[in-house]
Amino acid sequence: MRTHALLLTTSVVALAACSACSSKESATGGSAGAYGGTFIYAQIGDVSDAFPPYIEDQNGRMVADLVFDRLAQINATLGTVGDKAFDPRLAKSWDWAKDSMSIAFHLDPRARWHDGKPVTASDVKYSFKVHSDPKAGAVTVPLLTNIDSVQVRDSATAVVWYKKHTPTEFYDFVYQIMILPEHVYGSIPLEQLHTSPQTKQLVGSGRFRLAKWQPGVRMDLVADTANYRGRPKLDRIVITPIADANAGMAQVLTGQSDFMQAFPVDQSDKLDSSKVARRIDFPTIGYAWLGFNLFPPKAKSGTNTFFGDVRVRRALSMAVDRKAMLNNVFGPSATNIGYGPFPAAVAYADSNLKLPPFDAAAASALLDSAGWRMGPNGLRVKNGVPLKFTILSTTTSLFRRRYSVLLQDALKRIGAQADIDAVDAGTFISRLNGGDFDAVLGTFNPDPDVGGALQSWGTKSIGSSNWMHYSNRTVDALLDSASASFDPAKSKSYSSRAFQQIADDAPAIWLYDVTLINGMNRRIEPARPISPIGWWLNLSDWSIPADKRIDRDRIGLSQPNP
Amino acid sequence: MLQSLIVVFLVTTISFFVIRSAPGDPFSYESSNISLAVRNHWRDQFGYNRPLVEQYARYVISVLHGQFGYSFGMRSSVAEALSIAVPRTLLLTMLSLGLSFAIGMLVGAVQAARRGSWFDRISSGVLVVFYSLPDFWGALMALLIFTFWWPVLPSGGIVDAMHDFMSPSQAAWDRIRHLILPVGSLTLLTVAAIARYQRSAMLEILPSDYIRTARAKGVPERTILMRHALRTALTPMITLAGLFFPALLGGAVFVEKVFGWPGMGLLATGAIAGRDYDLVTATVIVGSVMVVIGNLAADLLQMAIDPRVRE
Amino acid sequence: MGNDRSRWHRLFTHRSARWALAVIALLIVAAIVGPMLVPYPCNAQLDIIRMKNQPPSWSHWLGTDQYSRDLFARVLCGARISLAVSVLAVILSITLGTAVGVTAGYLGGRVDTVLMRLLDAFLSIPRVLLLVAVLTLFTPVPLTGLILLLGATGWFGVSRLVRAETLATRGEPYVEAARALGASNREIILRHVLPNVLSPVIVAATLGVGNVITLEAGLSFLGVGAHEPTASWGSIFLDAVDFYAGNWWAVFFPGVAIVVTVLAFNVLGDALRDVLDPRQVHVARALPNAKEA
Repeated sequence: MRTHALLLTTSVVALAACSACSSKESATGGSAGAYGGTFIYAQIGDVSDAFPPYIEDQNGRMVADLVFDRLAQINATLGTVGDKAFDPRLAKSWDWAKDSMSIAFHLDPRARWHDGKPVTASDVKYSFKVHSDPKAGAVTVPLLTNIDSVQVRDSATAVVWYKKHTPTEFYDFVYQIMILPEHVYGSIPLEQLHTSPQTKQLVGSGRFRLAKWQPGVRMDLVADTANYRGRPKLDRIVITPIADANAGMAQVLTGQSDFMQAFPVDQSDKLDSSKVARRIDFPTIGYAWLGFNLFPPKAKSGTNTFFGDVRVRRALSMAVDRKAMLNNVFGPSATNIGYGPFPAAVAYADSNLKLPPFDAAAASALLDSAGWRMGPNGLRVKNGVPLKFTILSTTTSLFRRRYSVLLQDALKRIGAQADIDAVDAGTFISRLNGGDFDAVLGTFNPDPDVGGALQSWGTKSIGSSNWMHYSNRTVDALLDSASASFDPAKSKSYSSRAFQQIADDAPAIWLYDVTLINGMNRRIEPARPISPIGWWLNLSDWSIPADKRIDRDRIGLSQPNP
Repeated sequence: MLQSLIVVFLVTTISFFVIRSAPGDPFSYESSNISLAVRNHWRDQFGYNRPLVEQYARYVISVLHGQFGYSFGMRSSVAEALSIAVPRTLLLTMLSLGLSFAIGMLVGAVQAARRGSWFDRISSGVLVVFYSLPDFWGALMALLIFTFWWPVLPSGGIVDAMHDFMSPSQAAWDRIRHLILPVGSLTLLTVAAIARYQRSAMLEILPSDYIRTARAKGVPERTILMRHALRTALTPMITLAGLFFPALLGGAVFVEKVFGWPGMGLLATGAIAGRDYDLVTATVIVGSVMVVIGNLAADLLQMAIDPRVRE
Repeated sequence: MGNDRSRWHRLFTHRSARWALAVIALLIVAAIVGPMLVPYPCNAQLDIIRMKNQPPSWSHWLGTDQYSRDLFARVLCGARISLAVSVLAVILSITLGTAVGVTAGYLGGRVDTVLMRLLDAFLSIPRVLLLVAVLTLFTPVPLTGLILLLGATGWFGVSRLVRAETLATRGEPYVEAARALGASNREIILRHVLPNVLSPVIVAATLGVGNVITLEAGLSFLGVGAHEPTASWGSIFLDAVDFYAGNWWAVFFPGVAIVVTVLAFNVLGDALRDVLDPRQVHVARALPNAKEA
């Protein structure tokens, strides 16, 4: 009975809403012109939050980057010193004050919100308030401490004032803040912003508009035809959440979806032989490692009994054949091996660091010399303490799961017992923050500037992102010099020396750079270059050539049924 | 009726204490970018730093007012998130229950009528294999077969991405296509149990006096089967339906995960992993309420059909 | 006593029961001895580059998994753990269930009502949800904890059964007679109630083992069951389930192992029910044996 009722209702509703539908299928636009196309993205996990101040995951980040704008956008070179690497967005141009303590941004007069109202300087001021006021609780609060205030000089000019002149002051302000419309959200009290349902209505100035959002089912983004930068080539982006990688793989291979991030790497040969989809790799700025907690859990200070000994850390590093593990997990032609405490895509990366080589014999010898003798059951012991520890990992990350099993085996061969503790993402973060782990399979997605390295490895960051409690004053000094330097070459020489020191201290085993192996429909033409901080950043320039379009590309800009 | 209310109250209490006594709270896991001050502020705002008993009291009061709290993962009120997800799960379970009963009772009846025949033996064997299948494995195998090796059905979700642009008939067919595998997987498990019970129930009834009398009177076999035997077996079967509801809900958790069906099960597992305490508690309560209602309905139906049944 | 002997005789000549018993015996032997006989240790990663994801072959009967571990060995090791976990959990369940059921049925009155309401409440909470919630929120839960949890959530149906049986027995004339003769409550319970309760409990236990094996596998599939590198049948699933389209044998064979095992226990349970307690055939009495959530 229930089925009948439901089907009947569905049919009636669809029929009613679709009474004008018959003409919709053959709607104009999107058939032969430069514009057109529907891009279906099979996304693992749903979008929970896309309102900029509260975005914590990539899914939300992607939507925000498409629907909202920044004053300027960083390009693929990721230069964070000064403003050379930035292209104009909402700010058509900007002037630096002579003392570099303030910058005046001139807004593009054509810029409009999706509801038609013009973008003004008071929106900029409002956006700064939302991103920096602790009452709103945005994730960007600690990153904007160097900014004193934003002043509205006139409706088209906003001036930002800094407390200190730093090399990344432009980047700090422009990269972290997405501009929000004050007239839409301004009436919500800051404390209630986090939980207000109004923030689900995304009204931005980006080249895509939010047309429909059905949590758990899908999200429709439609081209903003009146956009100040011109409309995107695609008509629409449909984000459809999928259960897991297998479902996504099936959808991409059958052409049901156009793109899947993180295509199962073992199956990538299916993409090579597919007529419908192909493999396409995108860089990221994440890097993964096995980190050692340098002091015991829940202690205020001091060093861990065995991880405090650099010989043990180096020995464990030498027991691991990183290349073989990379090939097992990422495929035989993988090249994204970890080179050190940074991702290969950032400007200051150095692939020439000397890392502990893979040498199981040397590893054993080093452990012997450090006093860890092999016990009767294959486990090393020193002063009655066995070389036994847990590796903290997550249940959801496939690569972590793979690596944890591989590492466990490799370490067992030199007499160390590693137990795997896989927890859910929430517990993982809270235990990281609390220092409640022995070793951990972690990743850093640092900001593209050298300051990002300090956030991960600097002494001052112990208590926030420096989860391993690594502290080396020389490294601090070198990284400070690197980030204070206005000369990129000098900056790099400082940072390379710092990274070599970190590598010698071996607080972690550098496993791999997070590379995205994706499956994409062959008819899609992505725009180059793809930015490592988000492959979607130039989605508005992607296109589908007219001769390759299929039915769903020709729908045009009409709205979907409610 | 009163008993049901007591049951619901007990369930609320149990789930509340079990969930809230877990280490940590919803805010201890937020990204490290959020300062401790902000987190404590939220803790205060949502009352997570009060003593457990006080939290319980406040929760019960709010539930009585129809407020189930706020879901951080879904960024909406718990009631709203559930009101969207629950009907989706109900669709699966009700369809599955209906199909299982229709098929199960039919097969069981035929088995009883033709006891000992090859049909009886082979179908019994097949059914007991179905009965032994792990919920999710059946679903995974079905997915493998019908989505990869012979790709005729969609790999998950409720509707296609382009559903809104389909013509009404296409859209209806789209919905059906997406229902086939999840409902099929859920049905596999229950149909076996129902057929088995139907068979044994019928076997008990068929030799009874009034059936023999009817047969002696010359009533055709099929009428005996359909009219008399089936009707007598209906009563305990209805009670069975009530009992199967929790099992179906549990199975739905797995099936929804495999097929990415955004119903209660998927919502619950996501909420648990995301430490969305209010949502988890509410899901458990709603699940139990559904079971209780199912049992109540079964009881009432039973009394309506068979006035001989008295409690 | 003569009754019992003939009942056991009927069991062994029951056609399907025989092969079920044989399968279970084989499983137990395989679980205990198997891992020692197989050429590859359960958790050995043989060659992570070349030997991963190999389809079934003569050297690896069930193929290898993502980490180049031999699947046949892992399934055997998994048998050990899955069987142990399930049997222990079920023993816990029937102990708890019997205790509560006898108490409720024998004492009756207020105690009975309270216990029954509590039981109704527990029975209406979907078991899977509760288990997932507890296992996730209180992570990490060691294997012992898992067993305790599985046992603690599985006794409700048994106690209903036992209570019904206790009530029935309590009203029997020979019990009245025994009481008149001055037998204590304890004697009556031990001498008369428990033996009657034994049959349906054994049936429930047998069916319960299959249930718990499936449940444990399901929990591992959801990510909250046994941890690496413990190879329970469920966790073998978890390893393979991400990309099973490519190495379906890693998902197919553990599943087949589970199906065969659960099938054997179910068939045995059915046969036991036919043999030990033919009264149970009636649907209304058989209801408490329905699969719990």
